[in-house]
Amino acid sequence: MNSKKKTPRKRVPGKQIVKEQVALTRDNLVPLELEINSKAVASKFNVALEALGKFEPKFPSGIILPALTGDPGAEIPGADAEPVYDAKQRATIQGNTIPGFNKDHQHFLFFRIRDVRRAKKFLQWIAPFISSMEEVLSWVRSFRAMRHRLGVNPPMSATWVNIAFAYRAIQVLASEADANAFNEQSFRQGLAARSTYLGDPTDFKNPGHRKNWVVGGPSSEADILVIVAADDPKDLERMVNLIKRNAAPAQLRLLFEQRGDTLPDPLRGHEHFGFKDGVSQPGVRGKVSSAPGDFITPRYIDHTDPRARIYAKPGQLLIWPGQFLLGEPRQDPEHPFAPAPAAVATPPPPAPPNFPAWAALGSYVVCRRLRQNVPAFWKFAVAGSGELGLDPVKFASMLVGRWPSGAPVMRTPASDDATLAGDEWANNHFIFNDPTLPIPLRPIPGYGGDTFPQAMQDMLGAVCPHFAHIRKANPRDISTDLGKPHDSMLRMVLRRGIPFGPPIAGIKNPSTRLLKQERGLMFICYASTIENQFELLTRRWSNSPVQPNFGGHDPIIGQRDERGARARFIDFPTTTGLRRIELRDEWVIPTGGGYFFSPPIEAIAGVLGA
Amino acid sequence: MSLLARYDTPASLRDMPVGSPFYDNWHDFIALRLDASTIGTNGGEFYDATQTDVNILGEHALVWMAFPRRVLMPRLDDRTSAFIEADRTPGGDSGNRNVQDEYCEWRVERNAAGKITKVTFTTETPEYFEQLWAVDRARVVTLYQTFVNPAVVEADLHIGGTYQRSNRWNNADGIMHLRQSINNLNAALNLAQDSAVTPQAQFTGIPAPTTIPTASDNYQMPSVADTSVDPRVTYDVAALVRKPFSVTLRDPIGLYMTHFDDTGWTKPDGKPVDNYWTILRGNPGQILRLQYEVPAGAGFVVGDLSIGGRPIEWGGQIAEHVTVSIVGVAGVRAS
Repeated sequence: MNSKKKTPRKRVPGKQIVKEQVALTRDNLVPLELEINSKAVASKFNVALEALGKFEPKFPSGIILPALTGDPGAEIPGADAEPVYDAKQRATIQGNTIPGFNKDHQHFLFFRIRDVRRAKKFLQWIAPFISSMEEVLSWVRSFRAMRHRLGVNPPMSATWVNIAFAYRAIQVLASEADANAFNEQSFRQGLAARSTYLGDPTDFKNPGHRKNWVVGGPSSEADILVIVAADDPKDLERMVNLIKRNAAPAQLRLLFEQRGDTLPDPLRGHEHFGFKDGVSQPGVRGKVSSAPGDFITPRYIDHTDPRARIYAKPGQLLIWPGQFLLGEPRQDPEHPFAPAPAAVATPPPPAPPNFPAWAALGSYVVCRRLRQNVPAFWKFAVAGSGELGLDPVKFASMLVGRWPSGAPVMRTPASDDATLAGDEWANNHFIFNDPTLPIPLRPIPGYGGDTFPQAMQDMLGAVCPHFAHIRKANPRDISTDLGKPHDSMLRMVLRRGIPFGPPIAGIKNPSTRLLKQERGLMFICYASTIENQFELLTRRWSNSPVQPNFGGHDPIIGQRDERGARARFIDFPTTTGLRRIELRDEWVIPTGGGYFFSPPIEAIAGVLGA
Repeated sequence: MSLLARYDTPASLRDMPVGSPFYDNWHDFIALRLDASTIGTNGGEFYDATQTDVNILGEHALVWMAFPRRVLMPRLDDRTSAFIEADRTPGGDSGNRNVQDEYCEWRVERNAAGKITKVTFTTETPEYFEQLWAVDRARVVTLYQTFVNPAVVEADLHIGGTYQRSNRWNNADGIMHLRQSINNLNAALNLAQDSAVTPQAQFTGIPAPTTIPTASDNYQMPSVADTSVDPRVTYDVAALVRKPFSVTLRDPIGLYMTHFDDTGWTKPDGKPVDNYWTILRGNPGQILRLQYEVPAGAGFVVGDLSIGGRPIEWGGQIAEHVTVSIVGVAGVRAS
């Protein structure tokens, strides 16, 4: 036991920090009561809604991206070798996993298998239509290069298809043994069985209860999910109709279908609350060929800066591909850039199998159809901001952690900045705990550099609160309830969602009819586990008022169901201390979905379709 | 802000009458382990609130998972084996406290069928009971009799007058306080205080830019232990100190269970569980002893419940949903 009294050391004077600030402690936490349904809120609500139409990111133009298929300068001397995906592998990895479709128009088809033999024939038919990593990546590389040269989206179009299977489908199409060889217990259970664990309502009268879902409820679980994506809506419809025409004779019952579209300009790329979505995605490690610098995810950071080891571009963490593809090198939980061994299909006993051998290079898919009650969200924002004397958009942006344009509040705390939002080398470059240091980039002809003010430290959550959606879903550099930030890198998922329904954001005085129409987000993500990634992010962080840090629930997607009680709270930082605000209304309501597995393409006509 | 007059007992427990020398002894125990100021980078410090006057700007609860991450992570592909490892004990799977190293330990009780009937969690430190023993042995015996087993007698708890942390009632036959070798308050205080100073030589993560003398963000921090708690404390204290803040632990200093989450837990009929948690020592937010048990007469036991559709077979399945914390405060020196 250490019982020696230590000798006090002389204190070195440090920088002075504002002393008059009120302490952000829960000792002086004051509840804030909101009048959501007051006349004052109603009168301001439409103004806030209409104003959302002006937050369009401004993309720079005249930028010449480094070589598309290999840039030797992107290699870091001495770095761990990343896996090279040869032509066969690139042709079998589905393209919505890597690099992602990211199309403006998508259609989701949820099928139930009624005749296994005919279903297999359908799989043999559709297999050649499934878009591979090779096809999608080639297209995306060309598209990106042109967009940066032009400053607008180039006139290119493509139509792509992705397919995924539920546990029951694999049982009947492959075998019981193959289905049970998937060691992902949540996948075997299915989304409906895990629904309340994710915070969904336990009361069947609640519209979000799984029994009320349009698809994926206890009696409406889909076996097959087909995702069709296109730049041109007519191309999309043609492909969807073709698939439906071939599914019908295969006795595939169409349980549900959902069209998804990005919102029209100027809200393209935004979700229905009006905020730019999908700004921050992990960068998948790995190479397209052995050519120097031919990385799946382009590298832009000058490797003389040590941070080139962990970022592809500023703020985009590099993640080993085994976090998304079965059987590939994974992320070391104790290290920010070292790989960990891949999961093997069948480890030595007594360990259970991880997955059937044919599933290697496949990925789990989480689909959540989330209805968004936009008026409820913005009425809350108007009421909350009114009580605190803030602008409603500023208040709402602190809930999200980004301004409607996508500019991070960490870098522009006072107001939105469309130019920052449109700069992909700046709009994600920030950490929370410490001041963000400038980061040197490799030469990008035509790019003027990140000249925006850097983010200051915000460890106590005064700028981007602990509850903010982006801080919950991606804690970045902060340590969490699971320890070091390296662990958080294991939890990241590849998001591939798209809005559905007509927008009201940006519309002046939307009609009652328009307000009543359903709108929301088809949340889609890919990962190599469901429980340790999507479910952990949802339950452990978004739904928790204390994890990864104290401060309340994620006010955007967080849910709570404590024996039926669903009110959440946030501890909002103000200049007079923390104010606890209860969130009684719900503005994101689960209405369907499922857990699926997106197999390697060769298994579709092979193991599953044979 | 003014100097703290005296360190209080964890969760302000009053196991002894007011005025007992026990409270001064407890204060001394804490104060003896803290420097007036441990200087860190950029002029920040970890300080003793009874000696150094600081204006508090904010508090920062350092939270972590009760289930041992060191057991979980190597078994992430086979979570059941992790739960078994954390519970497996000869003759009863009552909780393998040797591996429960997140400053939270639990004991599992099972019925004749092997089903779990009760899980008891503690974050109380052995030092508290040693200090209490030094003042009033009978009181310690009474606490054991109240919370562990009425059959406890004084002779069970000591050898030659020295209190035994791993006596039979806090080991094979019960749980009263932490007993795993590094689960103690002395270690926790050292961890927090020493985190103010991060030697550059330890860096194994992203090296710091050469222009910066020490870590400028968490990615550059040393790769400390693979638990949840060690990096949580080390990284957070170091980050606050390098702001530079003056940092200490909020009084009453203690290791607390601060949250538990039974969302999605169901009874045998599929309905949500009722509230089966009981705080036995401490208070909400500062829980020192927590019990999970279905009341008698319900017709089922803990082992009949499910979490997210999975039957509860191991105590660790519950521990995974218990959050432990210590609370730090940060500020600047009062002028």
